[in-house]
Amino acid sequence: MIEAFFFGPSNQQVFASYHPPVDGGSQVLTVICPPLFNESVRTQLALRDLAISLAERGQHVLRFDYRGTGDSFGELGKVAISDWVEDIALAVREGRDLSGSSVVRLLGVRAGALLACRWAGASGDVQRLVLWDPVHDGAGYLQALRRIQGEIIERDLPLSPAERRETLQEHAGHRLSERMVEEFRLLDASAYSSVPKSRLCVVSTSSEAGFPVQGVPQYLARFACNWETTLEGLMMPKPVLERLSTCLTMP
Amino acid sequence: MSDHALTEEPLQFGEGGRLFGILTLPSMPPRNAEELPVFVILSAGVLHRVGPYRLHVRLGRELVQMGFSSLRVDLAGTGDSPPRPGLTNQQSVAADFADVLNVLESRLGRSPLVLVGLCSGADNAVRLSLKEPRVVGMVLLDPVCFPDHGLRGFRARRIARYANPARYNIAWWKRRFKSLTRLRGEKQEADRPVDPLALRDLPDREQLRAAFEAIREREGRVLSVFTRYAHGYYDQAGQLGRALGVNGYKEFCTELFWPEVDHTYRLELHRVRLIEEIKTWAGNYIRDSGSKRCRASVERAPISPGGHHSP
Repeated sequence: MIEAFFFGPSNQQVFASYHPPVDGGSQVLTVICPPLFNESVRTQLALRDLAISLAERGQHVLRFDYRGTGDSFGELGKVAISDWVEDIALAVREGRDLSGSSVVRLLGVRAGALLACRWAGASGDVQRLVLWDPVHDGAGYLQALRRIQGEIIERDLPLSPAERRETLQEHAGHRLSERMVEEFRLLDASAYSSVPKSRLCVVSTSSEAGFPVQGVPQYLARFACNWETTLEGLMMPKPVLERLSTCLTMP
Repeated sequence: MSDHALTEEPLQFGEGGRLFGILTLPSMPPRNAEELPVFVILSAGVLHRVGPYRLHVRLGRELVQMGFSSLRVDLAGTGDSPPRPGLTNQQSVAADFADVLNVLESRLGRSPLVLVGLCSGADNAVRLSLKEPRVVGMVLLDPVCFPDHGLRGFRARRIARYANPARYNIAWWKRRFKSLTRLRGEKQEADRPVDPLALRDLPDREQLRAAFEAIREREGRVLSVFTRYAHGYYDQAGQLGRALGVNGYKEFCTELFWPEVDHTYRLELHRVRLIEEIKTWAGNYIRDSGSKRCRASVERAPISPGGHHSP
């Protein structure tokens, strides 16, 4: 049974789901930092399943939506990276309060990995960070979103010149604020290198993925995630979930 | 959670709290709150309650500004609602809807309802509307449709469209050029014909007609929007009305054809357009409620000795 609730500042509350441990539980809290945009919809069911499985293995788990995404409040066009990093801090605090846990682990998925490390690097409050197919940096991620946007527009959508101009400003169907785009560009691999390597663990679905910081343990769980896509189908990458679960429950 | 205009509450309901949804309520209920319908936004296909590109969240929060409450719900097997083992899709959706009715009644009384559904959500809305007398409206996004004037008329229009040197023709040539210049493997993958309706558990023509007739009898309304996704089975505004042949269709139904729009409203301008269209359509319920109140106050007013209603 999950407990769903809103938390945070009264005018821009964040939606979260807490999965208590099935049997009494340990002192470990895992906070899941989801991916963004279309990727968050595609992985919703998979991350829910992972949360249930971690709770069955005795962990406290908190899932949440960043402001301006999912069920959280706020408009996407009015939030920025700094808000999302703050959301992670709030989620960890909320999770700690709810569970009374002393050990915090984070799972960061895609751009969520970059955001999680950005916060964890500054806080030093996290015992372990597991990263699923982390994006290397914000600029590269924005470019990927722009390529998806190009694909959407080229799918024979007859748009007027004014509509086309307006639409060209979007990223994979989403309108981001200028501040957001600027802050994304500034998010580079230093977010990863700011976290001690001993706390990081990467799970990649492709052997070509790589990771910008050398010497971090990297596990391969082959699955065709096909992140850069206009498709909206859900994914249920069992081998990846098993690997993530192992990484998050290792002593 | 609440902000200045609205309150949102996560609900876990049904047997063992197995179903999940989020109830959106106005912070200050309007005077006619009991007369206004509650919008039930059904999850679309395998996507969860948030909807494609957050469409359902935004729709619920826009409607509440007009005074409409809404529930966006994860039907069993989607989002945070686990599947119901051993039931067919239709049985499962019917059981979910019974739980939705119960929770809404316990929270808001026996309000009239409008069902909103995209794709398979539209199919579910049609079947559920048929059986539940409280449903007084449907918003159907890419529902099923059938050929009008027999299949010949439908085919003739499709042939005429390809003979027309308008934007469809340009689009066809672009696709043709791309398919010729694509690598062989890629080409086979991309050109594999896809029947958009093959994966859906569609209502048949009689069920569709009966649902529309039921809404008419309840003095309700229907908004249907078809996008480019429907091209294989729908190609002209008004086709649904002609195919169904429901009496008085135009008086209670609004039917729109947006061939330039994607099935899941991928572009922001299209999402904004859809939400505005639904808000305008929903405004009719507020006007209805106002005129019913006027009628009621006139009926309640004492009759003057001359036999006229007093002002």
